[in-house]
Amino acid sequence: MKDKVDIREFVQSLLIKNGDNEPLTDQESLLLSGRLQSIDAVEIVLFLEENFGIDFAEIGFDREQIDSIDAIHALTQTAAP
Amino acid sequence: MSPASTAIRTSTPWFSATKLANFRLIPRIETYLHVLEFAQTPLGKGALLAVFCQVLRNFVPDILSWVLIVVALILTTFLPGHRRVVLAIGAVIGTLKATLNFGAGFTLKPVVMDLAVMALGMMLFWCARRWPQSRFGRRPIVFLLSGFGLLILCASSVPAAGRIGVFLWSAIGAAVTYVWFIAYALTDKSAKPAQEATVELAALRPVWGSTATPFPKGAAYLRRIEARNAEQLAIAQLKGLKLLVWAILLALLVGLWNKFFHGYLQIPTSADALTMSVKGTPAAWHLRWESLILAFFESILSVSIMGHQFIAVCRMAGFNALRNTYRPLSSTTISEFFNRFYYYFKELLVDFFFYPAFLRYFKSNKRLRMIFATFAAAFFGNTFYHFTRDWAIIRDDGLLQAMKNYEASLFYCFVLAAALSISQLRERGPRPTGFLRGHLLPVTWVCLFYCVLNVFVTDERVYPFVEYVKYLASLFFIRL
Repeated sequence: MKDKVDIREFVQSLLIKNGDNEPLTDQESLLLSGRLQSIDAVEIVLFLEENFGIDFAEIGFDREQIDSIDAIHALTQTAAP
Repeated sequence: MSPASTAIRTSTPWFSATKLANFRLIPRIETYLHVLEFAQTPLGKGALLAVFCQVLRNFVPDILSWVLIVVALILTTFLPGHRRVVLAIGAVIGTLKATLNFGAGFTLKPVVMDLAVMALGMMLFWCARRWPQSRFGRRPIVFLLSGFGLLILCASSVPAAGRIGVFLWSAIGAAVTYVWFIAYALTDKSAKPAQEATVELAALRPVWGSTATPFPKGAAYLRRIEARNAEQLAIAQLKGLKLLVWAILLALLVGLWNKFFHGYLQIPTSADALTMSVKGTPAAWHLRWESLILAFFESILSVSIMGHQFIAVCRMAGFNALRNTYRPLSSTTISEFFNRFYYYFKELLVDFFFYPAFLRYFKSNKRLRMIFATFAAAFFGNTFYHFTRDWAIIRDDGLLQAMKNYEASLFYCFVLAAALSISQLRERGPRPTGFLRGHLLPVTWVCLFYCVLNVFVTDERVYPFVEYVKYLASLFFIRL
């Protein structure tokens, strides 16, 4: 569960950086809802590459994979080497 | 201290920055419970549709096109379970309507070509799904765009007026309308759950209209933002109505704007000011600046009106799509403005050029990785999109001359890509705070940057690059 806490903290730091202090649930959409932008998706990709060793060139990239805290967590469970 | 004086001290002042930021010209009616409930009743749906379609008539002068949209909206509102089928049929009828010439010179050729391109798109989608591990299946976008580029090269190498030339350019004309829609369909190849053919077809030529840039992206995106119940549909529709009203207000502003600035004050348009300079009779210095500043705001207004219209109809059809233009003048960085100004074009560049480059190349060097991916999108992708979109210039002037005439746009794309790279790298660091350093100065700088860069934005492409440089220099009292 520590992974999920780290993911939540990282996502919340991105939201705060964008001036978004609204509450966030683990299921809530981040990118499709417009709360995070494509540049923030890049930050999430870098975070997952560095902390979980996920290679998106290998597994393919779809923004839906990282659209919520739950989705990111599920990705780390299935795609991390 | 009396309770009354305490109340006065703690109450919000009648004017504050927060109040100003939260002020809305059009109230958030979708959050009013009684309005939301009424919008879910048959009477409410009917009233909403009647008002929406009446306002929409101002944007769609062609009665047949308007009727097609109205019928589609009535069906998707009252039969939401059949939304995808209705929109797929609407896409085919829309193609027939747009390409069949019912006038004196009736011809069937364009519609055959359009339907052939749509069929080709569906076939490519099927192939990418059927053989995901093949060369094509792994890099379908590369194959699609390379093939499209090769088609233009082939057409340029034969006489445009010959039989083969006419055929190839007709195919290119039809393909330009669909190429980015097909690209989105190909990215849906691995979507889970699998896309239905009806959703793909509906997304190839959306009933709500579009430019060469798909509004709002592809079928997988539509599926994700589709209203799932009556309340979500009502919210999407109320937001759609609001957006359309906003578009009408902006259209009225444009009318007054043109009358006042270009009519009453006689300030030339940016294109006219450039032409005057090229002909050796330049407008006064202040008029050149004024025309440039006006052109900047006019571009925001025109893109806003166009995007709001498409997205409003899309929302009315039951898809809660994001706005295409959202408060661009509040952008404090160059990349933020690029994101807020023309969202779906930016998304196209990000999806087909930025991410593929970012995920594959220069992984060990973060800065280089970001710069390379940004150039892949804002320079290469932007150039490819506009150069191929204006295929008629290539047909009429020949490939080499068209490339030469494209120099100003190429320079524009290069500077934009460089500025976006710097902006994105700076964004990773801490941002200044306070109203002056954190907001006013950055916003002014961003507007000034795009304003000056707009010198190189041109659709006509009739002047050599040096004329644009001379014009830019003249704004700063430099004679070249």
